[in-house]
Amino acid sequence: MSTGSKDNCWEYMHCRCGPESKQPCPAAVDETSNRINGGRNAGRICWTVPNTFCFSKPRGQFVEKREICFSCDFFCLVKKEEGSSFYLFKIAQGVKGTHKLHDTITQMEHLFTIHERLRSHFDLTQTLREITSDARRITGAQRSIVFLLKGDPPALYGEFKLRGGMHQVSINVDNSSAVGYAAAHNQVVNLRDLYKDSGHLNMSVFNRSFDKQCNCETHSFLAVPVQDSGNRVIGVITAANAKKGYFSADDEWFMRTYATEVALGVEKQKFLHQSFSALRLASIGETVAGLSHCIKNIAHALQGSSYIIKRAIDSNNMRDIKAAWEILDRHIVRLANLSLDVLTYDPAAQRGEIGTKLNELVNHVVKLFQEEARARAITLKMQLGEKVDPCSFNARGMYRCLVNLITNAFDACPLSEGVVTVSTKRTGEKELMLSVSDNGRGMDEKSKAELFHLFKTSKVESGTGLGLPTVADIVREHNGRIEIDTKLDKGTTFYIFIQEAPSSSSPLTDSST
Amino acid sequence: MSPTAKILVVEDNLDESKLIKMALEPEGYEVVTAVNGKEAKEKIGAEKPDFIVLDVMMPEMDGFAFCSWLREKSDYKNIPVVLLTGVGQHIYDTRYPLKGVMESDADEYLEKPIKPEVLLETISRLLKK
Repeated sequence: MSTGSKDNCWEYMHCRCGPESKQPCPAAVDETSNRINGGRNAGRICWTVPNTFCFSKPRGQFVEKREICFSCDFFCLVKKEEGSSFYLFKIAQGVKGTHKLHDTITQMEHLFTIHERLRSHFDLTQTLREITSDARRITGAQRSIVFLLKGDPPALYGEFKLRGGMHQVSINVDNSSAVGYAAAHNQVVNLRDLYKDSGHLNMSVFNRSFDKQCNCETHSFLAVPVQDSGNRVIGVITAANAKKGYFSADDEWFMRTYATEVALGVEKQKFLHQSFSALRLASIGETVAGLSHCIKNIAHALQGSSYIIKRAIDSNNMRDIKAAWEILDRHIVRLANLSLDVLTYDPAAQRGEIGTKLNELVNHVVKLFQEEARARAITLKMQLGEKVDPCSFNARGMYRCLVNLITNAFDACPLSEGVVTVSTKRTGEKELMLSVSDNGRGMDEKSKAELFHLFKTSKVESGTGLGLPTVADIVREHNGRIEIDTKLDKGTTFYIFIQEAPSSSSPLTDSST
Repeated sequence: MSPTAKILVVEDNLDESKLIKMALEPEGYEVVTAVNGKEAKEKIGAEKPDFIVLDVMMPEMDGFAFCSWLREKSDYKNIPVVLLTGVGQHIYDTRYPLKGVMESDADEYLEKPIKPEVLLETISRLLKK
């Protein structure tokens, strides 16, 4: 096909970024793609060139811009004009075009699939398994294995499937095998016949024994080093026994791409591992520090009040004894609450008995709080919905939720004329709502946002900062949600929506018991 | 020791503030309290304290901010200040780093839980200076 008879992309798009322009587009000067699809340089295969100037903006790598390219008019035109001789991507240099459209698209699809997989998989072993499976399909190889460099001194470790089971093999990084050679020299090893062509390599250590294990014989063999971002070898990907008898330059190109995918997978795994470790440590650190702060404040008050009591006893000062005793008592209760909250913060500790009567539970808890409500001049009301019972819920968990929410509502209430209302309602076939509202001080956006943070409390004398996180966990266990309606100086309502637990085989029951 | 000295206790936790007051008064100190830096700023002019016991983490105006403000005022910059702090707090809440305590303008800092005897000794020592 002659150049000049067909439009190149810069001519078709009138972008003035052709080879002779002041600022030529990378596609216009890519001589390695000359004549492909009958174009000048990469003028008719521009989609494979990174950072082309299409629509006056650099478009990134092929993988990033493929969606735009595949819907581009020029791409469709070239595809139509070239018919079955169309090249979707540049094949390895020096290889005569044997790829027809169908093969090419199939191969590209494989590469995209791997990209998608790399994005979704968290498990490196699974990623590697899928890469080798694709490498086998694309190169027509009988076997493909990924070896990763590990240990000190470093050796190459690979995993392969044989007779239904997974087997491991390790190889030294030296010239005693093709795999070791590829890693030691950071070089592709492509042999038509492993045993005849090895020449300077001595294959007896790995391949002969491996062949024996597999009960087959290796002929053609391709080993491509896997490099990290600093071009250091971190492994080797291999393919053995090509159907066509040898591995072509195209196969080498594919295997290099797979090697890059393996490297990306390893990097991603490393990154995830580091992130998870950091998160876990940060979380433990914050929990311990928060707990320590809370305990120290309590200890501080206990120490202070015990000092006052001791001194007041010596001087027979009953007024001081009484005042300090009240503080001591309050902080002992706070300490007890803290230990209870820490204990029940573990959702597993909340599991157990399944309740069937939510209204009855509310009635019971509200009765328990009536005396305290009277002492604090708070009107505690109940509005129980119809058709709520019978139902199914985690009894201990919901009891704890109610106690926490009512306590919070009491503490938020004004000094006089406080009103707290507890309501229940059936809001769906399997959904129940429980709400606790007060006419207290309400919250601003900042306080609302910090509500469920561990150890964050607005109650400096009595709070532990564990109550609401506990509520959140219990609600989560019920596949439910929490909604909060609050207005400054008007009050707050907590709405809890829970999904009923399915009777005896409930996930809320502890499966370990 | 200066038994007639007036001490301003700035602490948002009313129990703690009450306990400090109860520990100091029998030693002859006069104690006034404020629940945060903002209230302390309002009271300091009228009360003219000789010494300030200051908590770090308080709403509206914290101990660091109050201490910085204090040191900029010529009338109050020489009043001795002791900061009450908790190490856990500095790890847990990044707004109050330990570095902030070390570099604050306070004369000394005490770590919670604080023994009242230690607080009394610190006040007495700093007042003598």
